[in-house]
Amino acid sequence: MNRLSSLKSQWRAGFALAATAAAIYAASLAGLTAADPSSEKDVKTEKQTEKKAEKKKFSGADLYAMHCNRCHPERYATERTAAQWKTIMLHMRVRANIPAEQAKAILKYLQEDSGRP
Amino acid sequence: MKNRLHVLAVLPAICGLSACLTSPAVAAVSDDEFNALKDLVNKQGQRLDQLEKAHEQDQKTIDQDKQVHEQDQKEIQNLKQRVDDTQKTATDAQQKAEAAAQVQPIHPIPEGPAATHNFTMVGDAEVQFGKTDGSHSAFVFADFAPIFLFRARDNILFEAGFDVTLQNGTTGSHDSGTETAVDLSFATLDYLINDYVTFVGGDMLLPLGTYSERTAGWLNKVPDDPLPRSLVPGSGIGAQLRGSVPLGTSGQSIAYSIYGANGPSSSDGSANHDQIDLGGNVGIKSDGSSGNLHGSPSGGGRIGWFYPLKPHYDLELGISGQTGPWNDADNRLWSSVVFDGALHLGPNIEVKGEYIYDWVQTDDVGTLNQHGWWIQAGYKLAGLSLELPLINNIELVARYDELNDGFSTKAHRFTPGFIYYITNTLLFEGDYEFAESNNPDFDHNQLIFQLSYGF
Repeated sequence: MNRLSSLKSQWRAGFALAATAAAIYAASLAGLTAADPSSEKDVKTEKQTEKKAEKKKFSGADLYAMHCNRCHPERYATERTAAQWKTIMLHMRVRANIPAEQAKAILKYLQEDSGRP
Repeated sequence: MKNRLHVLAVLPAICGLSACLTSPAVAAVSDDEFNALKDLVNKQGQRLDQLEKAHEQDQKTIDQDKQVHEQDQKEIQNLKQRVDDTQKTATDAQQKAEAAAQVQPIHPIPEGPAATHNFTMVGDAEVQFGKTDGSHSAFVFADFAPIFLFRARDNILFEAGFDVTLQNGTTGSHDSGTETAVDLSFATLDYLINDYVTFVGGDMLLPLGTYSERTAGWLNKVPDDPLPRSLVPGSGIGAQLRGSVPLGTSGQSIAYSIYGANGPSSSDGSANHDQIDLGGNVGIKSDGSSGNLHGSPSGGGRIGWFYPLKPHYDLELGISGQTGPWNDADNRLWSSVVFDGALHLGPNIEVKGEYIYDWVQTDDVGTLNQHGWWIQAGYKLAGLSLELPLINNIELVARYDELNDGFSTKAHRFTPGFIYYITNTLLFEGDYEFAESNNPDFDHNQLIFQLSYGF
């Protein structure tokens, strides 16, 4: 009986995890689809977003100071090559929960100032 | 002009002469005089014709001069136009050059395809010197903690972190010889599925709070871990989905993670309170066979909110938790919840902390309610703007941490200290820990100096 209830709890836990994972994946796909400016409403929303972005848009240097200095002193862009920064930013995007677009802006800033391919 | 005056002067003379010649009352004139006058009149007439011709020539010359002048004016206008155009072109070129200088990187990236693979090593190394109450002072710690990063593609990364430490050997009754410990801190395969979802699998740093993921030696502002971190595991074998979703363009974002892991286990298989093993249960048993030490995995996750006002001014709040069975019979749960927060008020002020609460179901003492919290503040003296290099490189740090294991140990500790930034990655730290506890293992003050290097 205990074995049976144990199996049930395993199934429940597994099902819950799988359902949550599926929900996250579906939500991410929905987010990507919503970013497609196919309808007029989307175009309007995009324009509003652009206006807001003009008002308050952080540069790569701003985002670098914002995210990286939360945990450690600033590293100089010249310390690494552009290829190494790409790898390190992949690592930090996952580790520090940096949104993809912001991670790309930080990477561009670091690569441009690294001076080495 | 002179020609015209001559004409005007001659005309009255001619008129007067004509009047004399035609008047009947005029006195008699000889033929010689008449002929002389006639010649004079003829000459004057010829002279007048010449003057008129000269005048016409002058007029023609003047007209030609006018035409030449007009042409010159036109050419001058054309030249002026060309000069204006040239100046405009030069101004445009200058503006474009200035704009390009702002956009162009200081060191442009050479063109060409980027390498798809890259191997990079980062990490840190530490050396400690300590003096604990009741013990001799000593160099107590040497740690080399490399992190190997291999980027296989733009969205696939393998990362592994190690801790290589040296300690005394345990041969005989007295420490002798040395032992080198090599621990795998984490080893994961990261697959970035899209902008919002990343799959992480392997030996993961668990997102219970933020401390375990931001705990490298040169990141910690106090050399050792807060007391309540002993209530939660730092890593676990499993799989995780995580990501971050930006909220508009304000810089705000919501971070999430959800994972399944083997979870904690029991040292002897029982559910007695002193047998819980948070760090074991890695999926490969001591006999080499594979399998979870209990029937079910644990599940957990974290959700966090990051709110930046501007660079160096931000707030981060998060809540995380994990639950799952821990004994071999698979009928006792270990559950935990962690609240974390961090605040930055400028480049010189930082405050962060965590609150941790565990529920541990046991066979011998019922449910243990373990809890603890820590808060840490740092202030960089550069904020005083004293223009003194030695002072500007110092950060003052203080931490308070507290632990209640729910059964026998209560401890609290206050740690003031400093960090001297020799460079941006070479740090010298000094701290004194004032500790108080009902457990002798925790009840001792300690002085620690640490040299840390991040690479």
